[in-house]
This record gives sequence, structure tokens and C-alpha cells, in this order.
Amino acid sequence: MRRALVQLGYFVRTALRGLRSSPVTSAVSVVTIGVSLVLVGAFALLLWNMEGLLDRFGDSLYVTAYLEEGRPVEDRRALVEIVATVEGVERVRVVSKREALERFQAGVGRGSALLEGLDENPLPASLEITLLPERRSAEGLRVVVESLEGLPGISDLASGQDWVEGYLRAVALVRAVGLGLSVILALATLLIVTNTIRLAVLARRDEIEILTLVGASRTFVAIPFVMEGLVQGAAGGVAAVLLLLGLFRLVLPGFEFGMEFLLGGVTPRFFSVGEIAALVGGGAGLGLFGSAAALTGGWKA
Amino acid sequence: MYHVSKAYAAGSFALRDISLELRRGEFVFLTGPSGAGKTSLLKLLFSAEEPTEGQIVVLGRNIVRLGPAAIPRLRRRIGVVFQDFKLLPRRTVEENVALSLEVVGTPPRVTRAKVFAMLKQLGLQHRRYHHPLSLSGGEQQRVAIARALVNEPEILLADEPTGNLDPDLTLEIMGLIASAATRGTTVVVATHELDLVSRYGKRIVRLDAGCVLDDTPAPGDGA
Repeated sequence: MRRALVQLGYFVRTALRGLRSSPVTSAVSVVTIGVSLVLVGAFALLLWNMEGLLDRFGDSLYVTAYLEEGRPVEDRRALVEIVATVEGVERVRVVSKREALERFQAGVGRGSALLEGLDENPLPASLEITLLPERRSAEGLRVVVESLEGLPGISDLASGQDWVEGYLRAVALVRAVGLGLSVILALATLLIVTNTIRLAVLARRDEIEILTLVGASRTFVAIPFVMEGLVQGAAGGVAAVLLLLGLFRLVLPGFEFGMEFLLGGVTPRFFSVGEIAALVGGGAGLGLFGSAAALTGGWKA
Repeated sequence: MYHVSKAYAAGSFALRDISLELRRGEFVFLTGPSGAGKTSLLKLLFSAEEPTEGQIVVLGRNIVRLGPAAIPRLRRRIGVVFQDFKLLPRRTVEENVALSLEVVGTPPRVTRAKVFAMLKQLGLQHRRYHHPLSLSGGEQQRVAIARALVNEPEILLADEPTGNLDPDLTLEIMGLIASAATRGTTVVVATHELDLVSRYGKRIVRLDAGCVLDDTPAPGDGA
């Protein structure tokens, strides 16, 4: 245990010495990892916020069944009972013509003056059908709408199904682009980190030769280089988080319209502590794998 | 060493069918002109290279059959001194000497004490925070010897250790190497300086074109 601690101290000292001895190449590595993670992180933020919007709107997803005019009250009551038994339906609420009008007036504000000239309330009564929480999705909406179609007493059906499906497609597109970009950036970053560490190995080949002459194992020689990669990666991750936070706080408010369009007025959120840790960890992982790849077969102990 | 040959390219032999036996604690000079095979022989002894043919037993281990993990463990029992010193220019004298102890996980406090004692023994304690390039050639070679000896190796190999030094420094360095032999370390010194060899009265193995020309035991040594 004591020996392991002693060697750990040596590895840390040697890794820090290595970073100090080649500040420019180390900085290039950190910046490369940082830029890659900023792009990946920006896509992740956009994606998670869009998914967050879906989650939030999921609670208010419901099907509206407009009722035919002039039906007897008994028929309407029977219809409500039938609708309540449809699979995926949590509850059914009747919205009378009067309530529909009140809602409309409240919704349009001063525009409600348009209705003042009418003798009769033109808005139909409807059933507001709330779905079970696990069915609050485009597919859940589709199933309920299909079950209600053709029921006597229903003149029309409306749901957010089309909007939800369109938004889901947009989310899927952002996810696919983000994923593709992440893979490409990860590979490019790995290549750059690998070459940076390989340059460091070349620059310190005399040191490696001497260490092996005095009995250092391959692992003993390699660990400080791997630590360098790890530190560069983690530093790149921290830089990316700080840059993203700066952009989120300072630049995002300037794109209010775009955010309104994408997120529908939902306040965008930044990464949680766990997600920040994952981003920094991802950077450290890139550095770790890059340096490990650089040391595979590239030198002789 | 049993019937050892070393070829670097097809038909180009650095060593041919060498058989030698060195006893523990023995002091041996390897001599011969440049290209005789002295350096190749030393490299085989600390497993920096593998023989093309033959078997080599060092400290009870057949090093031809050593796995990659066992080679570093063998090297920790062997100190090596080179003509070009092989010191790290960006590290201090103390750090250079400490390398041999750090690779075996010696605690820093023990390392510092051992390095200081070794540097004091070689008269370099006042130079411990200097960098190698600020030292004279003799001082740099003394640092290299300190690095080779600080781990108390069982074998000390020196390849032309005085090749870059003037006569006074040569005697000083050879004195330090010889003192290691008096403590029971097996010492093998490769040199082309015949005057130096004759001065110490030790066993002399003369090489030429990769072959042993003759093997002269130390005077008074019946072996």
C-alpha cells in the first residue's frame, strides 16, 4: 500500500512535469477536447431541453371530442360512460357550450368582442379526455382517437397528435445529428490527443530509455503519460462546461425568438451537477483513451 | 554465457560463439578495438538486446527466456554506466540519481537519504541541486556512477566509462568503479584503453571482430 502511494506520488509529479515541459502541445490538446465537448454539450443541452418540453407538455396532452348539437342528455351521459371505458383513458370531463365560450373569451381577451354580435353561442360542447400518464404520447393519442372515431354523438376529434409527432421527429433529428457529430468529434479528438501524447513520448524518448535502463517496467513508464492525457481531457471538459455556461448565461437570452420557437416558452435549463460530471468525465475518458492508444506499440521498453 | 552469437543483419556478426563465465564479485575488463563487440556483449548482459544464438545466465536466470515483465526486475539488480553518461538534462543531479530508487518504489525520505549518502561518497553532495549540463564531464560521469550504484546492484556494467575524460579524471572514475568491486559487486568494464587495463591487474577478456582473442586471469588468480 505504502509502495503504491509512493509510486502514485512519483507518477503525479512526473505527469505534471511532462505537462509543464510541453505547454503548447498540452494546450492544443486541452483546447481540442474543449471545443469538441462544447459542440457535443450544446447539442445535448438542446436535445434535453426539447425532451423536457415533451415531458412537460405530456401532462397537458388530451383528446377533445366535439359533441353533436341537439342530442338528448341521456345520450351524452351514455357517451361519457363509453368513452371512460376506452383503453388508455384516465378521466372524461364534459365542457359545456357555456364553459367553452368562457374559456374562449378568457383566451382571446379583447378579441372576444367579436362574439358580442352573435345571437347564439357558436361553440360546441365537448368531452375533454385525459390519458393515463403512461399513455401520454403521440402513440397513446393515436390509439384513443382511433377508438373514439365513429362513436355516435361525436362530431369531431382533436388532439395534439400531429404536433407531438412533428416535434418528436425534430427531437429525433437533433438526437441523430448530435450523436453523429459526437462520434465524429470523439474520433477526431482521439486522433489529436493520440498524436499529442505520441509527440510527448518522442520528445522524452531519452528519459524513457534511461528509465527502462534502470529497471522501470513498461507500465511504470506509461502511467505518467496516461495521467497527462487524463488531466488534459479533464481540463478540456472543465473548459467546455465553463464556456457553455458563459454562452448559456450571456448569449442565449439574445436568441429569445429562436428559443421560443424550439422550446415553446419553456425556460431552458443548464446541465445538472451529474451531467457536468459526465461531461468532464467524458473529456477525461477521451484523454485517457487517446494517451493509451498513443502508447500501444509505439515504443520499446 | 554459452556459445553466444549476435548478428545485426544477415551475415554481419557483432559476436561469434562467445563462452564466458564471470564469478560473483569478480572485476573483469573487456578490451579490444572499436567494433570488437564490447558494447554488444554488455547490452546482452543487461538484456538490452537478445542473442541470435546461445544462452546467457545472469544472477541465476537464463535471460534469453525472460518474459517482458522479468526484464525490468533483472535490470534493477544491475547498474549500468555509459560513455555518454545518459543523464536527464532537465532533472537535477539528485533527481537523476534518485531514478534507480524511484522505479522500485523507495519512499521519498529513504530515497533522499540514500542519494545524499551516495553523492557525498562521490564528492558531489554540493552539486545535488545542479543540472547535469552545468557540471564538468568528470562530475557528470560521477553522477552516472552514483545512479548505477545507489541501488546497491549485484552487477556493475560500465561501457567506456572514461572515454570522454582526461587522465586524472579517468583514474578518479576508475577508482570509484573499483571500490564497488571491493564491496562484492561483480564489475565488468568495457574499454579500449590498454594502459588503464594494465594498471589494475584484473582479469582481461580481449575481443576482436566479435570473438574472444584471449582471457587473461587476474595475477594470482588460479581460476
